[in-house]
Amino acid sequence: MKTNKASHPRWLLPVLAGAACLALSLLAGWHAVTYNGGRLVYPMDSYVFQPADIPMLLSIGLDVLYVFYLAALLIGGILAQRTRAESTNRTRRLNPKLGLLGFLGFLGFAGFWSLPAFGDYTPFCFFLFFGFFGFFYEGKMSNTLMDERYRENALRAERAAYKTGLNIIFLLLLIAGQGRVPAERMAAALLIGISLALGLTLFLGEYLLYRYDHADAAGLEDGE
Amino acid sequence: MEGFTCNLKVFRVQKGLTQGELAELVGVRRETIMRLEKAQYNPSLKLAVDISRAVGAPIEEIFLFE
Repeated sequence: MKTNKASHPRWLLPVLAGAACLALSLLAGWHAVTYNGGRLVYPMDSYVFQPADIPMLLSIGLDVLYVFYLAALLIGGILAQRTRAESTNRTRRLNPKLGLLGFLGFLGFAGFWSLPAFGDYTPFCFFLFFGFFGFFYEGKMSNTLMDERYRENALRAERAAYKTGLNIIFLLLLIAGQGRVPAERMAAALLIGISLALGLTLFLGEYLLYRYDHADAAGLEDGE
Repeated sequence: MEGFTCNLKVFRVQKGLTQGELAELVGVRRETIMRLEKAQYNPSLKLAVDISRAVGAPIEEIFLFE
């Protein structure tokens, strides 16, 4: 006889834990601002422990634990997907809408503001996220049986993608080696170029696999 | 694919198999069988042998290379 086992959605626990952490952080922040002179809320030059800091320290500790918990969930999910792919010989299940994450790449343009304002190059790295547009094509090939033609196409696509990315990086290095541009601009140009090249490599790997797999599909008849 | 002819469809129909059934028997996707029948895909030796056993025909009669 089947038993109805009580279950809850997989996202419920992380969301509840996140909400609890947020609520505790807000409470601890309010306590620190109201009763502790805003210690650990506003920037401090040096820190000496005081018992009144305990709520804020506990809240920070919980936040750090929550981040580790999310990282463990993410890594666990990726490993589970990989194990499932190996055991079932099928590609991982992925929603094509994840391709929208590729729009994060536009954050890279923030570097053109942060570099002159703060001398910060970091936002340029976001150009790498353009590669996430590849999730759109990976999602379209979700849960596909990885037969020999699929594996052959995957290798072809990977090779073409890596070759394109490495050629771009090689060209960039050749240009950088000329030494005609000031070092600061060259560093920014290299960061932008390499981030874009890696993003393109990630995208091309998935796009070309989809294209090779569906090449001439329209011309194929059912033939049953 | 130049110089490659595939008679798989003839032997598959003789055996009374659909593309999907044959694909399942040899562990590939139906699209792979479709491309094989159109001689648009060059199979590995293992797949060729599996197909030959599944349709009960000699490998050299299914796949012809000039």
